[in-house]
Amino acid sequence: MNLLRTYILPRILQWALVIFVGISATFLIPRLSPYNPVDEMIGRMTAFASIDPHAVVSMRESATALFGLDGTLLEQYGRFWSRLLQGDLGVSFGNFPRKVSDIIAAGLPWSVGLLTTTIIISWTIGVFLGALAGYFHNRRWSQFLERFVVVVYPVPYLITALVLFIIFGAWLQIFPIMGGSRGEPALTWKYISTVLYFGFLPALSIVIGAIAFRFIMAKALTTTEIANDYVQYAELAAVPKRKIILFYVARNTMLPQVTDLALAFGAIFEGALITEILFAYPGLGFVLYNAIYNADYNIIMGVALLSIVGVATAMLIIDLLYPVLDPRVRLR
Amino acid sequence: MGTIIETNNLRAYYITKAYGVERTVKAVDDITLRIQEGEVYGIAGESGCGKSTLLRILLGAYQPPLTVVGGEVIYHLEGETMNAADMTEEQQRDMKWRTISYIPQGSMHVLNPVRRIRDTFHDFISAHRDVTKKESFQLTADYLRDLGLPEKVMASYPHQLSGGMRQRVTIALATILWPKLIFADEPTTALDVVVQRGVIQMLKDVQQKEGSTLVLITHDIGVHANLADRIGILYAGKLVEEADTQTILENPRHPYTRFLIESLPSLDSREERLAIPGRPPALDRPPSGCRFHERCPLAQEVCKTIEPELIEIEPKHFTACHVVEEELNGGHSVYA
Repeated sequence: MNLLRTYILPRILQWALVIFVGISATFLIPRLSPYNPVDEMIGRMTAFASIDPHAVVSMRESATALFGLDGTLLEQYGRFWSRLLQGDLGVSFGNFPRKVSDIIAAGLPWSVGLLTTTIIISWTIGVFLGALAGYFHNRRWSQFLERFVVVVYPVPYLITALVLFIIFGAWLQIFPIMGGSRGEPALTWKYISTVLYFGFLPALSIVIGAIAFRFIMAKALTTTEIANDYVQYAELAAVPKRKIILFYVARNTMLPQVTDLALAFGAIFEGALITEILFAYPGLGFVLYNAIYNADYNIIMGVALLSIVGVATAMLIIDLLYPVLDPRVRLR
Repeated sequence: MGTIIETNNLRAYYITKAYGVERTVKAVDDITLRIQEGEVYGIAGESGCGKSTLLRILLGAYQPPLTVVGGEVIYHLEGETMNAADMTEEQQRDMKWRTISYIPQGSMHVLNPVRRIRDTFHDFISAHRDVTKKESFQLTADYLRDLGLPEKVMASYPHQLSGGMRQRVTIALATILWPKLIFADEPTTALDVVVQRGVIQMLKDVQQKEGSTLVLITHDIGVHANLADRIGILYAGKLVEEADTQTILENPRHPYTRFLIESLPSLDSREERLAIPGRPPALDRPPSGCRFHERCPLAQEVCKTIEPELIEIEPKHFTACHVVEEELNGGHSVYA
């Protein structure tokens, strides 16, 4: 009970506060810009055809109301929250009558599916290989592996993606270069296999760089860890290497690694921008890219809100997990 | 009682090479020791005199840049005589903890911070014996109770224990398999005197219970006086004097040992204690002749050029000093 009051509750409050501040900022920032979406919309509509000035005035009024831009800033803010709490993120400017929540909901599963898979794969492989290479840092294979990774790591992932795209998509043509699946969505192997098939290249382009990053981090952490007295002492006592690597080395590097893992999960809601654009993958990154391209504020805000909630929630989860991971965090 | 471990003319240097400059630190230079089964052998000396290096070599736990360049280490364990240089890595590993064990310097950090004490014990025990977790917990509980440690430390994490308790747990961890030969490196350093007393008592108990051999390294002559049967005094990588504890404390012959002993405070006298003049020499270019001659008030011409041999000046009392040797050979006493 004491733990709940002194540890869990304050962190949940903190979580709510972070989200509140973040969302307020996303409300405020577009309103501080000199750019007015209503003018933009009217401008777009009157660009190719002349419209009756009275109609323009009434259109301006209804658009201002629709975008929630009428009244004082405080009134707007109040309305913004009351809409938001009802799950109403407004409508898209670019695809005018479509609701933002629908557009985001359509992109979400693609990004979540793609990034959850790539994060788990790259984290597991990177941490495992990095720990082994750090522990056996004198072996030839680990030195070879490190050199290889050091070469791969600085390559920006858009280059990796482009190279994969050109080789496997355009030249060899063994993988599709556009879209997320083929056929009607259904829970059949036929459909799911096309999801995997279409997702393979995008996933690979992310995984390669992510494994390299994770490997370097894991190896660096392991290298400092094995110099610690308790590792050396366990070595001296001839504790089996398997146990030393798992419970003495890797276990002690978990704290920063798990933090980073959770942050990566929190960032899922931003989508994988470049990969999704390149492969025209229908995830949130692609949605965001189109929204930025069309100055579709409501969608940009919707994606931003989602990622604020995502990152804050990830932080909350790690905070609550720390006492499980590291006994020293436990309050006595 | 026979010899359990001996070294013959052991030389171990730290050889480093950086930017083409070779540097050799002669941390252990020509040391010959015979440690008897069941005794407590104390190794004393200032910081940087090679105590810990010697211990690493005896323990077989060293890696480059520390290199054995000459001499040998011979173990007489379980009825077998083994030269450390001929042992495979497998044999070395196998020997650790079962027969040879080590209580480290600064044991504040030798316990894994994210593992409960009982799990660490299980790791160490199961590495050498075929036991289930339950059996090793039982073994640990019994042993800790024997040593007078509270049972609740079993489920604790290292950070929940006090420094003294952690040191005692480490001693228990090092000795749980009843090793024949225990090395302790500064086991009481960094503990306050009250806790030190408890730790010394515990070391005594552990050693006496099974008649193990304890090689104790510390700069603290007080701890040696409490525990050791024999003491070897190390100076700049060399053994300069060796005798039983009482002789060292009451009748030290080497000028360095005399300084060490005289610098100890005593209860009856309130006069100021003299510090040893100068500082220990750097071991990459040790002084010629007797390595102590630069700081020695008795130094003569011969001391600057010729290294003194370790000679037996009375039964079982060895010292390496030209002045003492000369006196024995009929010269006048320098300590008149």
